[in-house]
Amino acid sequence: MDIRALKPEDIPHVQLANITNLPENYFCKYYLYHAMSWPQLSYVAVDVSRPSKTPYGPPKIVGYVLAKMEEDPSDGIPHGHITSLSVMRTHRRLGLADKLMRQSQRAMAETFAAQYVSLHVRVSNQAALHLYRDTLGFKVDKIEEKYYADGENAYSMRMDLADLKAELRLQDDSDEEEESVGKDEGDAVGSEGAEKKEKKRLVRVGRQLGVGDLVERNETAAA
Amino acid sequence: MPQPLPSKEASLFRQLVKNYEAKQYKKGVKAADQILKKIPNHGDTQAMKALILNSQGHGEEAFALGKVALKNDMKSNICWHVYGLLWRSLKNYEEAIKAYKMALRLAPESQNILRDLAHLQAQIRDYEGYIESRQKMLSDRSQLRQNWTGLAIAYHLNGNYKEAERILTTYEDTLGQTPPKTDLEHSEAVLYKNTIIAESGDVERALTHLDTIIKNNLDRTAVLELKAKYLLQLERHDEAAKVYTTLLDRNSEYRPYFDGLEKALKLDRSDSTSIDKLTKLYKTYADRNKRNDAARRIPLDFLKGDAFKTAADEYLRQKLTKGVPSTHANVKALYADPEKKAIIEQLVLGYASEEKSANGSVDGKPNGDASGPSEKSVLLFLAKHYDYALSRNLDKALEYVDRLLEMEPKNVDYNQLKARIWKHYGNTEKAADLINFAREYDLKDRYINTKCAKYQLRNNENEKALETMSKFTRNETVGGPLGDLHDMQCMWYLLEDGEAYLRQNKLGLALKRFTAIADIFEVWQEDQFDFHSFSLRKGQIRAYIAMIRWEDHLRNHPFFTRAALSATDLFIKLHDNPDLAKDGKPDLAKLDPSERKKAMKKIQKEQEHAKKAEADKRAAAQAKATATKNEDGETKKEDTDPNGEKLLETKEPLEAALRFLRPMLELSPRNIDAQNIGFKVYLRRNKLLLTLKCLNAARELDAEDPGVHENGILFRRHLNNLKEPLTGPVAEAIKKDFTSPAADADLKALNEEFLKKHPQSPRHLWRGYNVRYILDPNSKSQNEADLQKLVASSSSIAEAVAGLELLSEWKSEAKVIDAYREAAAKKWPQATVFQK
Repeated sequence: MDIRALKPEDIPHVQLANITNLPENYFCKYYLYHAMSWPQLSYVAVDVSRPSKTPYGPPKIVGYVLAKMEEDPSDGIPHGHITSLSVMRTHRRLGLADKLMRQSQRAMAETFAAQYVSLHVRVSNQAALHLYRDTLGFKVDKIEEKYYADGENAYSMRMDLADLKAELRLQDDSDEEEESVGKDEGDAVGSEGAEKKEKKRLVRVGRQLGVGDLVERNETAAA
Repeated sequence: MPQPLPSKEASLFRQLVKNYEAKQYKKGVKAADQILKKIPNHGDTQAMKALILNSQGHGEEAFALGKVALKNDMKSNICWHVYGLLWRSLKNYEEAIKAYKMALRLAPESQNILRDLAHLQAQIRDYEGYIESRQKMLSDRSQLRQNWTGLAIAYHLNGNYKEAERILTTYEDTLGQTPPKTDLEHSEAVLYKNTIIAESGDVERALTHLDTIIKNNLDRTAVLELKAKYLLQLERHDEAAKVYTTLLDRNSEYRPYFDGLEKALKLDRSDSTSIDKLTKLYKTYADRNKRNDAARRIPLDFLKGDAFKTAADEYLRQKLTKGVPSTHANVKALYADPEKKAIIEQLVLGYASEEKSANGSVDGKPNGDASGPSEKSVLLFLAKHYDYALSRNLDKALEYVDRLLEMEPKNVDYNQLKARIWKHYGNTEKAADLINFAREYDLKDRYINTKCAKYQLRNNENEKALETMSKFTRNETVGGPLGDLHDMQCMWYLLEDGEAYLRQNKLGLALKRFTAIADIFEVWQEDQFDFHSFSLRKGQIRAYIAMIRWEDHLRNHPFFTRAALSATDLFIKLHDNPDLAKDGKPDLAKLDPSERKKAMKKIQKEQEHAKKAEADKRAAAQAKATATKNEDGETKKEDTDPNGEKLLETKEPLEAALRFLRPMLELSPRNIDAQNIGFKVYLRRNKLLLTLKCLNAARELDAEDPGVHENGILFRRHLNNLKEPLTGPVAEAIKKDFTSPAADADLKALNEEFLKKHPQSPRHLWRGYNVRYILDPNSKSQNEADLQKLVASSSSIAEAVAGLELLSEWKSEAKVIDAYREAAAKKWPQATVFQK
C-alpha cells in the first residue's frame, strides 16, 4: 500500500471510497476545492499490487485523508482541519489511517505553518476515537451538540503540532547542515490570508455553487 | 448606444445590478419591471432581467428576452455580455465567446467582460485566444502578480515553455527584494517556474534553478522529489541516492522512492548479483520500524525459491500473528507466479496444522497470541485464498469460512466472505441473502451496507438495493434516495443499477442510468470552470495545471467507458430493432393467441402498477421539493422521464450513441472493445473511413482478437454487397488500408479456417459461429448445436452467459435456449442465472 499525496485524477476513487464507507459525502467539486487550495495536505493509500485490467485503470484507492487549512480561524491561529478520513474495511489494521494522518500533519506544519490540527468524530465511533486519541495523540477539546445531520454529537478534537515542528526543524538542520545560517523559523502570517473575501456562512450541497460558496461548507452540510 | 435613463431609473438600474450580484432575484425583477414600465424597450434592463430569469431557472424565457434586449440595443455591451452569459449557461461556449467578443469591442476597457472571455477560453482550451486575453489583462493591471502568472499559464498550456518562463522571470525581476519565506504565492510561483524549465527538457538548468530555491521553499516534499528526479535523470547517482534516502526518511511507504533509490544505487532486480544488496537494503528499512510494510513486502516481488520462502514465511507470520485481515490482499499479486502461489499455500496450510497441534495441547493457544499466527487469521487467509480467482476451490473456501462462522457466527467479515464465495459460485440469490445477514450484524457500518446493496443489484433486485442504500442517504433530497445518489455522484451504484436493469431487459431504465453517468462526467468537466480564477488567487499553480491535465482526459475513466460501452451497444440494438423501444416487452406478433392474451394482460397490469407507483412517488417528491428547493440554492426540475422511455424513443439512436462513443475513441483508443463497438456504429452510419479506422486500430491492438476477425469479414461483406461501387478518394483509401480479408477472399472459407485455428477458445468460436450465421442464415441450427457443445468447455459463468446472449441475438427458439440453459446449469449448478 503506497502512501502519497492526492492528485486530481484520484478524486473519483477517493469519492468512491468515501461514499462506500462514510455517511458524510461530497461532490467532486468539493474535493477539487481541497486539492486546489491545499494540494499538499490530502493523502491517499493506494493498492499498487493490483494489476490494471485496462490501459486506463485508475489507482485502487483503499484509504484517504482529505484535509484543509481553516480558512478564517476564529482564534486567529493558523491551523489545519481534517475534513474526512477513511480506510476500506478490507484494509484495516495495516496502520494506514495513522500513516496518512502523519503525512498530512507534517505538510500542515511545513507548508502552512499550522500550529495545531482539529477534527470532528462521532461520539459513537470508538475505533476512530481510539486512533485519534491513543495512536495519534489528539485530545478532546469539547463536545459539539448535534453536529451531525442525524442528530449525533461530535467530539471536537485537536492536536498540537509544536512537537512535530520541533522535530522538523531538527531534520531540516541535519539535511542542510552546510547552510543553516539565518533560517527563517517564523510562522506564516497571512500568506494564505489573501483569500478572505468569501462570506462566512454554512452552505447546502449544490453543484451550481461557486467555489467561494464551498468555503464554509463542512461535514454537517452533507450528511 | 445604450439608451440613457432618467436619474430615478438610472438609480433603479444600479439597484437591479446589485440585486443580481447579491442573488436577490425577486427584488431584481421588481426593479427591472419598474424601469420597463416607464421605458418598455430599454435593452440593458431587459438584459439584466433576462439574466435573473435565467438564474431562477426560467431558461427559455430568459433567452427570448435576452434576444429582444439585443434587438433593442445592438450597440450595448451589457446586452452582448448578457447574451454571452446566457449561451454559456447553455454550455454553448462557441456562441458565448462570440458574444463576449462583441461586448468587448463595444467596451474595450471592461475588466468583467475580459475576465469572462478569458475563463471561457481556458475552459474550451482555446489557448491562442487565452494568451491574447491574458496579455490584455496583464497590460491593464501589471502590478498584480496574478496577471503575470496567468499569462505564463496560458503560454505554458499552449506549449510555449520559453515564453512562459520569460514572463515569470520578468515579474520576479521587478521584485525589489526576495519575498519572505512565508510568502506562499511566491514559493509556489518559483516552483511552478521550475517545473516549466524541467518540462522544456532542460533538466540541467532545472536542477541549477531548483538549488537556488530549495532552501526556502514551503513544499518540502515536492522540492525533494524534483531534486531526486533531476539528479537521477542527470546520472548523478550518489547525490540522487542521498535525496531518495531523505525522502524515505519522511515517507517509507511510497514505492517510487524505493525504485529511485534502487536506480541510484545501480541495483537491478533481474541481476542475481544485486539481490543480496537489495535484500540488505530493504532489511535496513524493515528493521527501523516494525510498522514499515513496503520494506517487507517489496522483497517478495524479486526474491525466488528458498529465499522467497523464508521471506514470505516471515512476512505472513508477522501479519497473521497480528491478525491483519488484508494479509491476503497484500500478497495475492504474487500469485501470478505459480511457484510463489504454491509456496504461499504450503506455508499457510502449515500454520493451520501448527495451530491444530498447539490447540491439541493442554493449554490451547489463545487467539492473537504473539507467539504465532492466530487460528482465525489463518483460516481467514485460507478461505480467501481458495476464493481467489487464481487459486479457486470454492468448496474448500466454504469449508474454511464455515469453521470461522462456527466460532463467531455474527462476525461481519466472515459473513461477508461467505456471501462472496456464493457470489463466485454464481448464486447471486444466496449471496445477496447472506450479505444481508452480515449487514444486519452491523447496521451502523456503511461499508457492509454498500456491499449489501451491490450484491442485491447483482441479483437484479433494484428496489431492494435502493431501500438498502437509503439507510445512509439524505432521503429528503428532491428525488429521494435515488436523487441523493445522483447528487452525490455515486457512480458505482448508478452503473450497477443500470447493468441490473439491462440484464432484466428494462432498457429504458438502463439507458437512464448510463446517461446519468455521462451527465456526471459533464458536471465534472464543468467543475473546473471556477478554478481558472480561483487557483490564480490561491497561487497553487502546479495543482491547477495537474487538474487541467486530468480534465483533458477525464472520460478515459473506466466508469465512463463501462457506461458508454453498454449504452452504445443498447443504441445499436435500438437501431437494428426499433421495436425494442417498447422496452423489453415480448414481441406480441410472434406469440400464439393464448400466450398473447396472457402477455397483454401482464403488460397492462404492469403498466397500471407502474403508473400508480410513479404518481405516488411524484406526489411525495413534490411535497418535499418545495421544502428543499431554496435550501440548496438551486432549483431542481422534476424529471419528466424517470424511466428513460423518452431516451429509448430517440429517432436517431446512432446519433445519440456518439455522446458515449466519441470520448471513448478519443480518450481510450487502446481499449479494444471501444474500437470494436465504434466499428459497429460507424458501419451502420455508413461512415466507411471511420469504420475502417476502428477496425485497423483494433487490429493494431490485437490481430487475433475475435472481434477483429468478425468485423473484418463483415466489412468486406459490406463492401462486396454495395449496390454502387465506391469511387474517388474513399475507394482509394479503403483499397490502400483495408487488405485483410482480401478483396477477392472466400469469406466462408476464411471463417472456417478461423474456427479451426481456435478450437479451444469459446470467445473465438462464438464470433466464428456468428459470422457463419450472418454469411449463411441456413447454418443456424448448426451454429446452435456447436454453441451448445461449447458450454461444457466454458471456463466461467460469464462465458456461458455470453453464449446465451448470442442465442437471443440469433432469435433462437425457446427450446434451443432452454436446452442451452440446462447444459449450463449442469456445468454451473449453483448459478442463479441458468435456473429456470
